[in-house]
Amino acid sequence: MGSTQKPRARSRCRTAAIMMALLLGMAAACTTSDDEPAVAEPAATEAAPAPADDPADDGDAAPEPEPTEAPAPAAAGEPAEPSGEPVRIGILFSNSGPAGIFGQPTANIAEFIEEDINAAGGINGRPVETFLADDATDPAVGRQAMEQLIESDGVDVVLGTHSSATREAAKPLAEDAGVLYIYAALYEGGECSPVMFNTGEVPSQQLAPVIPWMMDETGGSKWFLLGNDYVWPRRSFELARQYIEAAGGEVVGEEYVPLGTQDFSSVAQQIAGSGADLIFPALVGGDAIAFETQAVDFGIGQDAIPRLANIYEENVLGAMGPSVTAGMRVTLGYFKEVDSPANAAFVARYFEHFGADAPPHMTFSSHIYDAALLYAAAANAAGTTDTAAVAAALEGLSLSTPTGDITVTGSRHLAQPIYVAEIQPDGSQLIVQSFPAVEPDETCTP
Amino acid sequence: MDALTLELLNGLSLFATLAIVALGLGIVFGLMGVINLAHGEFVMIGAYVAYVTHANGLSHWLSLPLAAVVLFVLGACIEVGLIRRIHRRPEVTILATFGLSICLRQAVELIFTKDFRGVPNPVPGATRALGVLFPTYRYVLIGIAVVVVVVTLLAFTRSRFGLTVRAIVADRDLADACGVRTGIANFCAFGIGAATAGIAGALVAPLGAVEPQAGLAYLPGAFLVVIVGGFNRLWGVIAGALVVAAVQTGVIHFYDAVWAQIASLTLAVLMLQLRRVPVEGATA
Repeated sequence: MGSTQKPRARSRCRTAAIMMALLLGMAAACTTSDDEPAVAEPAATEAAPAPADDPADDGDAAPEPEPTEAPAPAAAGEPAEPSGEPVRIGILFSNSGPAGIFGQPTANIAEFIEEDINAAGGINGRPVETFLADDATDPAVGRQAMEQLIESDGVDVVLGTHSSATREAAKPLAEDAGVLYIYAALYEGGECSPVMFNTGEVPSQQLAPVIPWMMDETGGSKWFLLGNDYVWPRRSFELARQYIEAAGGEVVGEEYVPLGTQDFSSVAQQIAGSGADLIFPALVGGDAIAFETQAVDFGIGQDAIPRLANIYEENVLGAMGPSVTAGMRVTLGYFKEVDSPANAAFVARYFEHFGADAPPHMTFSSHIYDAALLYAAAANAAGTTDTAAVAAALEGLSLSTPTGDITVTGSRHLAQPIYVAEIQPDGSQLIVQSFPAVEPDETCTP
Repeated sequence: MDALTLELLNGLSLFATLAIVALGLGIVFGLMGVINLAHGEFVMIGAYVAYVTHANGLSHWLSLPLAAVVLFVLGACIEVGLIRRIHRRPEVTILATFGLSICLRQAVELIFTKDFRGVPNPVPGATRALGVLFPTYRYVLIGIAVVVVVVTLLAFTRSRFGLTVRAIVADRDLADACGVRTGIANFCAFGIGAATAGIAGALVAPLGAVEPQAGLAYLPGAFLVVIVGGFNRLWGVIAGALVVAAVQTGVIHFYDAVWAQIASLTLAVLMLQLRRVPVEGATA
């Protein structure tokens, strides 16, 4: 019979060793997500020939409110090879934790940012280099990541796509250091700071034109609003209520569930009993999947009550499966299906470069790409990377990108196209409606 | 009336889910005194077994025994490789299983990526019974969960193996001295705990997202059940699941889901205060 008694010293020693190994393992697990994209970076600098319709090209950044095109490094067509000390572009994004699912497309697009801006002559003749930092979907980690970008990497600008919680935690560091911070994720709106621009979709853009359209399209008017319990769904619903009432509809129910909710049976029953003929679900990630897959069996699936969603993206929709999602409408500032030659070429290049099964380019990565182009154009126009000068040049700046025509507003947000996609029976997304140059309902005078 | 029936059925399905998810945690904590923070990851891996089963075109029902086998083997390996060396020190098991949970999440992420996966419902639609329409799959879930929980608990309380295990719970050193093979019993207890988590994961997979982070969402619920149900009585898992499900469903019905979460956590705090159980747990 084997005794479990062991010499005490030995067992203590062994336990200590295991603990050390585990701690090391934990540390490794935490850092790999940061390192991985960074390691991949150097490969991107081999300035590939820019595609013919390169949106970074200063020449076609046309529409009216164009600022005076100051000392642009080169004329369109034959940009000079950028040289000298690189302009450092930090990208603060979620590559692990719950929002880590959106990380890979952004890490991929960082390669294109370097490639395309450098191919177009860089910024004031200098090449650009990107630095990635992962917030692990955790505001505390996000603050450290911001600190690392500013202090260790010495970035000239931070482009962010992460939660509002991380933005709130990281913003003071950018403000203290006077580093320009372009937050490019869709969010609830209302941000206003001297160092910040916010180029993601805000609820007023996603909803104002689309809610009346949705009611026309489906004939429905009684809305049920179901969201996760945090600021973005709450702000979205506050605005949605106004647009619904303005369009002659009514809100028959408004419910919030905690993040990480797995059982939607009671909520499903409330919806079934509410008499709603439209559902606006502002649920994220696994919660969205749990709600939609369970809703079908409670008789309130998309075929019974049409959905207008403002965050359901391909990955989440894919996990629900076409039998659940067919017919749902999603309103966002970008889909890879956007029907324009520039976008078709960009998306083809994306999949060619990163593989056909790469996590698809989507609204978050698209907005980061656009933010980088906006920064490059503004810094070129200003002739410097000084935060105040670039900020001044950003206001009113217009660009044409794969997303469409975008203009930075005086409120430091972005007038941008809004697209509505309808999920097809095979699970693909089809753009059924687009609203060009939708103005955000924001006010900001920092 | 119908609304009440539906709410009762909702509560029942929540009870069944909680009970089967918490069962393994209760076994491992109650019998071994190991606070297993990687329990949620066992559930998550069970869900991935269901996903792989589906991806290979096999029946969803096959994934339940498959998940049990896979998780038993995994749990047994973890017991031999890790738990066996530290199980007498609960505070160390917390740290070790926390690290383990990170390793398991990352390993799953390496194999399957972070993408959300879905497992289609094998029996879509609703069944009319008791005058109300209720999702068919939930009836199945309730049935399977109750059978698994009851059979497992009977095995631990009525069989010779159960007797052995209870002897160890009562006094490990004495049992050891009397010739009870404590090593094997721990090995089996941990393996069975993991296996029930695997079944739970495969069972809930068609109702939600399959993703590397999914386990994190199941862990708090499972702990809640174990805390409310009591630490050193296995049947406490059933009582705990029943109370938590009743509170959750009731508060959601009268208020909303956010208050339901607050209510369950308050309940856990109250229970801890009432019991004043030392953190070392039953076998300390």
